[in-house]
Amino acid sequence: MERQSRVMSEKDEYQFQHQGAVELLVFNFLLILTILTIWLFKNHRFRFLHETGGAMVYGLIMGLILRYATAPTDIESGTVYDCVKLTFSPSTLLVNITDQVYEYKYKREISQHNINPHQGNAILEKMTFDPEIFFNVLLPPIIFHAGYSLKKRHFFQNLGSILTYAFLGTAISCIVIGLIMYGFVKAMIHAGQLKNGDFHFTDCLFFGSLMSATDPVTVLAIFHELHVDPDLYTLLFGESVLNDAVAIVLTYSISIYSPKENPNAFDAAAFFQSVGNFLGIFAGSFAMGSAYAIITALLTKFTKLCEFPMLETGLFFLLSWSAFLSAEAAGLTGIVAVLFCGVTQAHYTYNNLSSDSKIRTKQLFEFMNFLAENVIFCYMGLALFTFQNHIFNALFILGAFLAIFVARACNIYPLSFLLNLGRKQKIPWNFQHMMMFSGLRGAIAFALAIRNTESQPKQMMFTTTLLLVFFTVWVFGGGTTPMLTWLQIRVGVDLDENLKEDPSSQHQEANNLDKNMTKAESARLFRMWYSFDH
Amino acid sequence: MEPGDAARPGSGRATGAPPPRLLLLPLLPLLLGWGLRVAAAAAAAASASSSGAAAEDSSAMEELATEKEAEESHRQDSVSLLTFILLLTLTILTIWLFKHRRVRFLHETGLAMIYGLIVGVILRYGTPATSGRDKSLSCTQEDRAFSTLLVNVSGKFFEYTLKGEISPGKINSVEQNDMLRKVTFDPEVFFNILLPPIIFHAGYSLKKRHFFRNLGSILAYAFLGTAVSCFIIGNLMYGVVKLMKIMGQLSDKFYYTDCLFFGAIISATDPVTVLAIFNELHADVDLYALLFGESVLNDAVAIVLSSSIVAYQPAGLNTHAFDAAAFFKSVGIFLGIFSGSFTMGAVTGVVTALVTKFTKLHCFPLLETALFFLMSWSTFLLAEACGFTGVVAVLFCGITQAHYTYNNLSVESRSRTKQLFEVLHFLAENFIFSYMGLALFTFQKHVFSPIFIIGAFVAIFLGRAAHIYPLSFFLNLGRRHKIGWNFQHMMMFSGLRGAMAFALAIRDTASYARQMMFTTTLLIVFFTVWIIGGGTTPMLSWLNIRVGVDPDQDPPPNNDSFQVLQGDGPDSARGNRTKQESAWIFRLWYSFDHNYLKPILTHSGPPLTTTLPAWCGLLARCLTSPQVYDNQEPLREEDSDFILTEGDLTLTYGDSTVTANGSSSSHTASTSLEGSRRMKSSSEEVLERDLGMGDQKVSSRGTRLVFPLEDNA
Repeated sequence: MERQSRVMSEKDEYQFQHQGAVELLVFNFLLILTILTIWLFKNHRFRFLHETGGAMVYGLIMGLILRYATAPTDIESGTVYDCVKLTFSPSTLLVNITDQVYEYKYKREISQHNINPHQGNAILEKMTFDPEIFFNVLLPPIIFHAGYSLKKRHFFQNLGSILTYAFLGTAISCIVIGLIMYGFVKAMIHAGQLKNGDFHFTDCLFFGSLMSATDPVTVLAIFHELHVDPDLYTLLFGESVLNDAVAIVLTYSISIYSPKENPNAFDAAAFFQSVGNFLGIFAGSFAMGSAYAIITALLTKFTKLCEFPMLETGLFFLLSWSAFLSAEAAGLTGIVAVLFCGVTQAHYTYNNLSSDSKIRTKQLFEFMNFLAENVIFCYMGLALFTFQNHIFNALFILGAFLAIFVARACNIYPLSFLLNLGRKQKIPWNFQHMMMFSGLRGAIAFALAIRNTESQPKQMMFTTTLLLVFFTVWVFGGGTTPMLTWLQIRVGVDLDENLKEDPSSQHQEANNLDKNMTKAESARLFRMWYSFDH
Repeated sequence: MEPGDAARPGSGRATGAPPPRLLLLPLLPLLLGWGLRVAAAAAAAASASSSGAAAEDSSAMEELATEKEAEESHRQDSVSLLTFILLLTLTILTIWLFKHRRVRFLHETGLAMIYGLIVGVILRYGTPATSGRDKSLSCTQEDRAFSTLLVNVSGKFFEYTLKGEISPGKINSVEQNDMLRKVTFDPEVFFNILLPPIIFHAGYSLKKRHFFRNLGSILAYAFLGTAVSCFIIGNLMYGVVKLMKIMGQLSDKFYYTDCLFFGAIISATDPVTVLAIFNELHADVDLYALLFGESVLNDAVAIVLSSSIVAYQPAGLNTHAFDAAAFFKSVGIFLGIFSGSFTMGAVTGVVTALVTKFTKLHCFPLLETALFFLMSWSTFLLAEACGFTGVVAVLFCGITQAHYTYNNLSVESRSRTKQLFEVLHFLAENFIFSYMGLALFTFQKHVFSPIFIIGAFVAIFLGRAAHIYPLSFFLNLGRRHKIGWNFQHMMMFSGLRGAMAFALAIRDTASYARQMMFTTTLLIVFFTVWIIGGGTTPMLSWLNIRVGVDPDQDPPPNNDSFQVLQGDGPDSARGNRTKQESAWIFRLWYSFDHNYLKPILTHSGPPLTTTLPAWCGLLARCLTSPQVYDNQEPLREEDSDFILTEGDLTLTYGDSTVTANGSSSSHTASTSLEGSRRMKSSSEEVLERDLGMGDQKVSSRGTRLVFPLEDNA
């Protein structure tokens, strides 16, 4: 008898693992399909659908199949068991079931109204990842790759503008979206679609901050392919990369904003604490990331590791990863640390690597970035159908669409105006329109939204974010090529030709200095940094 | 009535451990049941009262505490991973120093183990041992465990996921030290994450012509040898166990099947250290191929063997007696799993080859690499999902990919895939070895039994000897190119144990016997890697094994058939021929592979239109890629170049001319690449040689040898 039950539970466990393999297999299959389709598209030079868009389409189809074609097997769960003696939830639970002791690990808290849909389809349940996977596994390579490929002299030429867009712009956009959404929420309460007191102003701000993370992969891929004006490319790319870091930290500091008495009223102390948190986390992550990169640079400089490219690549990978882990362990934001680690690695370490390792690291991270990005977009498609707690609210979604456009406009046009006052090389109108147009939302917004889907407002936000990502990636991403011709933006600028002109960094620097002289006069701080750095 | 609910109500958070993150929850007797209300155990109620009362006032605080605890646990996960990564970083730096100074007595894996040991000691004795975990129990009438659990705690619902089963005896000793607990990984991680890249890389780098030349011997060593070694070790260990029983040193059951299981896991040899040294010193290629091939296939056999021994469950009451039906069932399982995994791996490899052949994916190396990676990973997942062994499937997938898909990849993708898997392999391997070092101190259930350990050491040497010498003797009967005594000694010596044995041993450490096995395996791995690995260089010189054979000086691999003739002179040529005559199955396979599979699956090989019979010409034209026709010219060029350089081998040519017609296919047998295409036109060759022998004019021969290809069949 004892043995039988043991065999049974072993079988159960086997089933458990076997399921895990099947889920991953589904994703692998989807990605393989995506790759093949993308190849077809690239081969025929279709530009209206980027690979991420393709991944989403396949994800959607698979989600649809899983949702409606699989038999809704109930998870065997009857009533929820009430535990009288338990007053809080421990992190591990040992359960004794007919003499077999099982260990259970704490996963998450589930709010009251989510319990019923929870007993739905077992397969759908299986296809849902733990949201922390995005932050701990999938996003770091994407962000690191972004940082690592930032090493463009155009980036440093436009550093001032990029920082302005990233910091001020994100803050503006967060507040504007938050305010507009608050208006819509008030309207919804009037219309009786929402209970009063469910949706606070902090929730709106939270939504604003997560919605501020732009991710124009599609647009950038097209720019890259068409060799669009490098200044525009750098402005957009730099903004989107730094933007993510700001949005992540901002979201975190808003979520820990907890005033003492009335939890949703304004409280100056709590507000300043949040601001302090923001600055602290940002500075800490920045320092952590740069510190690791500098260690790597020093190590690669003072050892002759370049004789063994494999060891070098391994070291590079491990140290970049430890930047992430140490930041997480210290309670900072790993992703931000990884971003700055990437930027610093590209700036310093890259020059110390052997040429073999340069190619290896680039290819390794390119590959990881590609896979991770497509997994996330694929999952987004899937989540529209497999996520069980969607709340579609037409008014809220409409409001969100409106809000992101208004906020993007409030971010780009005034800031560009201010920047143009200081810049010698103005940001022309067509660039501004293009930047306004490229406000796509992507992986970061999704990952931030899915992190917490417990309460009703959060679920509504998640659904809205998902729809926004779909819309922007498909419509805006598809419309990039027509938009470029319509705005008459220079296309076919050969980057390589520009680069060849100044092969040595010495030369390049001199060149830059020439060009920068006038610009740098206004940006004294940056000039000082350059000379120090150089 | 349950052992666990005693715990300690007093050790609440008030007295808690010094650092707040180690703050432990008071015990939680909790009751669960699905669909059934179950009365609380009396003991649970009693012990709950103290903590319950204290907790009620501050339930909000406690929720926060739980949240914080989850966050803390994430933070600790980060710390433990960070530990490993720093270890690996240190290993890399030290290895660089060693390589730089050309110190060869310690391989990187050995070093990783040493660092692991040091950190293990620090963690074990340097961190405060925090008090026991909350133990909580409840009994229900359910007879099975669920993968998720919803618990209602005062109006809040919490979700719990199943982590694993704990054997009843161990409840009290569930890990005390939090930090040690954190650095202990789920053993399945090894099988699902770390081993696949290692094994795949091994398969992927097997594409060596020497491997295929020695395939027969390698298969004999891998299959027969592993079986022999498993049985011998199992029997010897059974004797040791009996002895221990007599001496009263055995505190729990230890059956014959357990001994066999130990034999199976310890049969997986893993001579990374030795192979790395061979590679560096350019030791004899045949020896390298024999050792490498044996160790790779060996792993696959050992995995399947151990899982079929576990599956051996005789019917009836006596579960550990011999039962013919169950035995044959086990054999059936072995064959089923092995062939299933093999098929699965080969099929995905073939599919990848076809996909890369018929799409022009090679214009986009990134996409190609991603596809390659995903397909190979799918093999693993598919095999696991079907109940086969993923690691074995991945191995054969790697071999197939190297054999077919590799030829279709763009140049950039080739280096990308190679480098990618090289890095993954390097990281995974060193990770496993440093974890081994760590496990010696952090693993909590070690059972050190000196007799068993000594017995195991004796057994593995005897097992290795009983496996190498007799098999080599039999193989030498059939081989012309004998495996020399020094090679045999070297193979005997290279019986290191490594990652695979460890992963198999750690997979199940629930029972007493398994724990003892785990400890013993760990010690054996340490000993063999350090001592035997360190002694490789002296051993090589002592055994007078040829060192410094430069594989680059050998002609390029696609000229195999000639390489055979040239590399070892006429002697080996004869040897190979006779060997191949005995191995006609392999010969058949090679010609099939070369004439049909290669052209179907890759861009290389002769066009199908020439190899297939005329009646399927249409099909052949569909399947033949246009590149094959394009490739004709360059390939022939290569051949003629080659012949120019091989002008001094007239004697060899003469030798093979004697049986040129008969041996034409036997040459084909020994090839793996296009080179053999030339050999097929052997009738021309005979003619050519007759001419060539006359004037010795190498250059003219070289050019004239380039004949238009003719149908061999």
